[in-house]
Amino acid sequence: MPLIDPSVVDLSRLQFALTALYHFLFVPLTLGMTFLLAAMETVYVITGRQIYKEMTQFWGKLFAINFAIGVATGLTMEFEFGTNWSMYSHFVGDVFGTPLAIEGLMAFFMESTFIGLMFFGWDRLSRPGHLAVTWLTALGSNLSALWILIANGFMQSPKGASFNPDTMRLEFNSFLNLVFSEDAQAKFVHTSIAGFVTGALFVMGISAFYILRKQHREFAARSFRMAALFGVISSLAVVTLGDALGRLDYLVQPTKIAAVEGLWQDSDANGPAGAAAWLLFALPDQQAQANHFEIGVPYVLDPLIAHSFNTSIPGLITLEKQVGPRIQSGIQALDALKAYGQTHDPQALASFKAHESDMGYGFLAQRYAPNQDLGQITPANQDAVLAQAEKDTLPNVFVTFWSFRLMMALGFFFVGLFSFAAYYSLKNQLERHPFLLKLCVWSIPLPILACEFGWITAEAGRQPWSVFGWLPTFQAASSHNLGYMIFSLIGFAVLYSAFIAAELYLMFKYARLGPQPHLTGAPESSPSPMFAPAE
Amino acid sequence: MGKTFTFIGLFLVLCLALLLAVVAGDYGPWYFAWMVGTVMIVLIAACGAIMLDNQRQNGNGEV
Repeated sequence: MPLIDPSVVDLSRLQFALTALYHFLFVPLTLGMTFLLAAMETVYVITGRQIYKEMTQFWGKLFAINFAIGVATGLTMEFEFGTNWSMYSHFVGDVFGTPLAIEGLMAFFMESTFIGLMFFGWDRLSRPGHLAVTWLTALGSNLSALWILIANGFMQSPKGASFNPDTMRLEFNSFLNLVFSEDAQAKFVHTSIAGFVTGALFVMGISAFYILRKQHREFAARSFRMAALFGVISSLAVVTLGDALGRLDYLVQPTKIAAVEGLWQDSDANGPAGAAAWLLFALPDQQAQANHFEIGVPYVLDPLIAHSFNTSIPGLITLEKQVGPRIQSGIQALDALKAYGQTHDPQALASFKAHESDMGYGFLAQRYAPNQDLGQITPANQDAVLAQAEKDTLPNVFVTFWSFRLMMALGFFFVGLFSFAAYYSLKNQLERHPFLLKLCVWSIPLPILACEFGWITAEAGRQPWSVFGWLPTFQAASSHNLGYMIFSLIGFAVLYSAFIAAELYLMFKYARLGPQPHLTGAPESSPSPMFAPAE
Repeated sequence: MGKTFTFIGLFLVLCLALLLAVVAGDYGPWYFAWMVGTVMIVLIAACGAIMLDNQRQNGNGEV
């Protein structure tokens, strides 16, 4: 089969990256805000104080704006798998489609139903009933993310599926292995908590704006306090969970971790194990397979990645060399698969089974085989083909290295910011620190940027694979023409930019207006705490 | 009678939570950590608000 035009593959990747990154401008806020709303309403129900109801309703309004636009941008992505990634959909649709379908049928419907009840049920539901709805909205929005991240976890570390040579597809063999895959679990927890950080900084930043302008003081003080405490624990959790996710990636995707760290040589190449420097700054050069202007901290890299001082972490050059035998084995797998497809010969099937786990690496060689036909690889041209295919197994080191560093720097910045904010909020000294308040306002978009850098690290670092070890990205796309891809790419960029403009306009408008008395309606005649204090 | 049903209901929720904790703890430790951690984060944020109310009642009106 001829390979898809590389320009079409690149444009398909660009389009997916664009739509996914646009979509993820909205998602983290949804994930975090819902649980913050649940926290505010919990306090309202327990204490009976009207101000917490006003807080839930005001922040709920901003959440609703974000949610509506987030849903609109997310729907198109599910269709994109079919339109732009049809080879991928054919190859893994049996596995990948299931979590997506569950997400649509269970989580999304659950989320949407309870959001409706949350917004329109204030006067129709009892206080505990409405609180239950708010908690279920929070759970639903995070469950929605869970299924998407299970699907992504499969792409990072395929579990729960096996290749069927008769249908030429990866097919389910264990739903539990898919759902409880370590990668899926770690990704979900890290992403969800990153959303908590985003939601917390959003509420904290806007509350800081009110405090600076001396508006809605009591409302802002409580919102700020809750968001700061919510954020300080979330930011600590997101950093530690990120470290655990990194260790997991080191075990399943060593090329990604080597790229993240700009590690070309093995970590013990220039000294004893454990002494390698963790790079604060470097300019990775893919062609030269080296870094320029390195600044690092010695004795940090090995314990950070492997959680050990005695482990040597393989560098990109070693990993590139190690992959050669797997490519050769993959070529044999594909040859045997072709023979089995034509003759259904049991011997060919046995030969395929012996090399099956390397099949994906065989695809990498197809690009460089004469006439893109693996059958034309001979002992005379094999070394040249392998040398080129080996280079393709490394991700873009510069992008992976820097996107990770920017994400991580922002993560540590959030720990510091939330710590100071929580400390001064607990001491009721926020107004004495206007710079801190201003910093909170300016930092509102930063967690969203950190999430974007995180996704770039995860996805760019997985290259050249769409499904790690099984299906290269260049074989996963649809065979569209260039005109179609350019037209749809521009269309998405314009449409999504309009969505962002609408979101920003509405957010600024309602945030500036602040909590309005009409939101809460008439004051409750006898607001009483759920649990009355003992006499 | 109503209280009996409330207690039976809460007991069933407790049993379900324990079952969920055992299954999640065995097969999905990360998921379990998320469930416990999220509830903890929410409750600590809620405690912060209630603490602020108490500070106000004790006469501290500063923000």
